[in-house]
Amino acid sequence: MSKFYILIMFGLYTSPTLFSQTCCSGGIPLSNSIGLPVANKGTLQFSLNYDYNYLNTLKSGNDKLDDQARLRTTQSILLNFGYSITEKLSVETLFTYVNQKREINQFGNINIDKTQGIGDGVLLFKYNFSSLFKKDNLLRVGLGTKIPIGATDKKSKNGILLNADLQPGSGAWDAILWSSYSQNFSFRPSVTFYASTVYRLTGTNSKYLNNSTTYRFGSEFQALINYTDQFFLFKTLINPGLSIKYRKAQQDEIGGNLLNNTGGQWVFAVPNISIQITQKLFFVTKFEIPLYSYVDGTQLTPTFRFTTGLFLTLDKQKNEFFNLK
Amino acid sequence: MKYFFSFLIFGSFILLSCSDSNSVENNINNGGNSGGNGSGNSTWSIDKDMVFDGGPGKDGIPALLNPNLINVINASFLSNNDLVLGFKDGDQIIAFPHKILDWHEIINIDTDNHSIAVTYCPLTGTGMGWNRIFNNNKTTFGVSGLLYKSNLIPYDRATNSNWSQLKLECVNGTLKGKKPEVSVLPEMTWGEWKKIYPQSKVVGTNTGFSRDYLKYPYGGYKTDHNFFIFPVDPLKNNIPAKERVHVIISNTNAKVYRFNKFADGKVFVDNSFNNKTYLVVGNQNFILTFQLDRNTENLNFAYDFNNSEIILSDDEGNKWNIFGEAVSGPRKGSFLQYAKTSMMAYYFSIESFYPKVIISN
Repeated sequence: MSKFYILIMFGLYTSPTLFSQTCCSGGIPLSNSIGLPVANKGTLQFSLNYDYNYLNTLKSGNDKLDDQARLRTTQSILLNFGYSITEKLSVETLFTYVNQKREINQFGNINIDKTQGIGDGVLLFKYNFSSLFKKDNLLRVGLGTKIPIGATDKKSKNGILLNADLQPGSGAWDAILWSSYSQNFSFRPSVTFYASTVYRLTGTNSKYLNNSTTYRFGSEFQALINYTDQFFLFKTLINPGLSIKYRKAQQDEIGGNLLNNTGGQWVFAVPNISIQITQKLFFVTKFEIPLYSYVDGTQLTPTFRFTTGLFLTLDKQKNEFFNLK
Repeated sequence: MKYFFSFLIFGSFILLSCSDSNSVENNINNGGNSGGNGSGNSTWSIDKDMVFDGGPGKDGIPALLNPNLINVINASFLSNNDLVLGFKDGDQIIAFPHKILDWHEIINIDTDNHSIAVTYCPLTGTGMGWNRIFNNNKTTFGVSGLLYKSNLIPYDRATNSNWSQLKLECVNGTLKGKKPEVSVLPEMTWGEWKKIYPQSKVVGTNTGFSRDYLKYPYGGYKTDHNFFIFPVDPLKNNIPAKERVHVIISNTNAKVYRFNKFADGKVFVDNSFNNKTYLVVGNQNFILTFQLDRNTENLNFAYDFNNSEIILSDDEGNKWNIFGEAVSGPRKGSFLQYAKTSMMAYYFSIESFYPKVIISN
């Protein structure tokens, strides 16, 4: 393994959320940790992230409505494990815990509904084609699934079954197709350009609303490009970056019918940074700001998102994270 | 610096772990006694497993209170085929457009002599007025964010009790079991309404809330007979689920009248339901039912609609308008009473709430 892979680690691991569970954009950011860096055979990787998603922007199509009465927040803990089976093949898993809140501040009253619990998980196998390309490029593809281990029957304190959007789980298996490409440059070796795509083909929860109907979150596609550089500051290796993320979600379906006020398209700017704390431990954080959105019907749409966490790699070999010669 | 980042991470996790214990503030309803997606208390007179969270949350669909009324000529946001509900209090005649009600579901309004809540459920197509005065105290109604059999559950702000609109009863809270005092609101197209009552007022789009009232928020819901957002039992009668029908409800019984019986305008007496005598009048645009009594059941009525407010005439020489008021003739100023608790509805909702429904031949 070489510095080449290590560069990818920074470009990749500071990349932002790749999909969320619900089409109102309020769900668990399952892929915050998906796409762990390439590592040597036998390397273990861990990451622990906290994600705060704040939705207080009401939109109708392209138009922002002058109404801030609704607030939706999702706080997630994302725990990721990765293992490199061979130099080419790796596997990673993601476990989540979520706290979701819906708050209506109207007519002088604040009404709150919230749920918390274990969310859905992810299992992803990745393969890299580094040998197919010249030295400074890396192409990887992944195939995985979202595993519906989260609860879908959470009720309010008064025993009323809450809707799909507030449930920790989706109740459905999804297929995940993932790919990434990275490039660094001879004119400035510390720079990494990174791009990734994710397509999530959603499954159907056939036991929605007490087994009375079906619910399917809209399938979605995301594409991301990220530019990262690295330098030393106070003897600490710093990796600042900037991503642009595009997300398109189809409408949800209930009982096989398209559900209005779900689905849409979004573009986000994601400034991000990773900082090396020790030889094998990194602090990673990013802030997601919407640049453009078009929502189907009228929806709450993200106002901002903040993610921060730690990334740890356990490798028998000594890692060299600084790429400059 | 490294310790700072470690502290930041640790603090974030603490934040999440503490997030479930919101501080107690005045007027915060935390899914508990009176708010969130909850109710006045946990005891319901209906099957609670059939009560669902609609998604927007309590007051997430904001009810209106005495919204701005505009003149008919200024209601350019309405097209002729849009539906409105009508209300008359003396000289005050007001139209409540579905286009507004689709987004607010409840309009609390005070007129000279009445304080009513116009309650309208977009998923069942049912609209009616409820008296807002209980025990000499005036309240307002809000949208609970809950649904029972796809139908609106308003809550009253005086007691936080939840009411089932189509069951016509308080189903949860301190007023459980109480029946609302209903005002019938005739429903017709805007095109007909503005011809009949060009001098009336109409609820405009300047509601104080930012919404795109030109958009129908439920897609193909009102025309797709197989599209349901919440579970509905299979229908026994062979009537399209979303067909708009007129219904008279009496206790657990209901009788439905379909538009296909009224194509060219028709009036008839129906005394086969509920041991009462009903006068049924309609055309391709509206259906209304009046309950006749000793003073009116001997009259012979004729359909007499000609794009004015008059819909009936009788053999005494009286002319009656859509609100049942005699506007000319010897009985001028007197009223035919609407069939108590009659309204328009999507058919499925009536069979769902009133399985013994009778279909008029």
